[in-house]
Amino acid sequence: MVFLRSEEHLARWLASNGWEPGATLSAGTLHELAGGWWRTRLDPGWRPRTPAASQRILDEVGLTGEFWKLA
Amino acid sequence: MEELDLRIRNHVYSSFVRDETAPTPAQAAATLGVPEPDAADAYRRLHDAHALVLDPGTTRIRMLNPFSAVATPHRVESAGREWFANCAWDALGIPAALDADGRVESACPDCGGAVELEVVAGELVRGNELLVHFVVPARRWWDDIGFT
Repeated sequence: MVFLRSEEHLARWLASNGWEPGATLSAGTLHELAGGWWRTRLDPGWRPRTPAASQRILDEVGLTGEFWKLA
Repeated sequence: MEELDLRIRNHVYSSFVRDETAPTPAQAAATLGVPEPDAADAYRRLHDAHALVLDPGTTRIRMLNPFSAVATPHRVESAGREWFANCAWDALGIPAALDADGRVESACPDCGGAVELEVVAGELVRGNELLVHFVVPARRWWDDIGFT
């Protein structure tokens, strides 16, 4: 996924690639998501996260609904 | 996840953050005192478990999410170093993983113009006006992680 300057840039980018719109977030929401998702990645005691735990991280930043279901 | 896989995974990540390069299975095997074929098998299992991403058909590491082992359009300065990220999400994930401030430089794929974001003390202080678009729904992210 990529950063885009505005809705106008997003619409043009999707159209130029022939892609259907997926889901758009603000950079602020992505920042919240990145914190929850990656914060423990370098912990010495790291263990794989369960799908349910990953889903909770999405839920916690308001990313709910069919598009955001991991399984 | 097998104990060997976890040891190898943690070694690969810590080596990458320390040395800015991902170890080969031979290097990891020598450091950890395990046979090289076992280390190579562990790399492949870690890829299958989405714990890292290898170049297709090889044991060469391409992604240690949120870090990229190859150059990308998403550059991140954090913890006094420069990194490449795999995507917008990973770009903001690098300061989070390093627990450090960070500055992201990328480009809008529509106009090619530079975009910049900055994280200070865990807060996004620059780039809040930008948008991020997910083309692929969550359940299909790993169908083609390079595209996602």
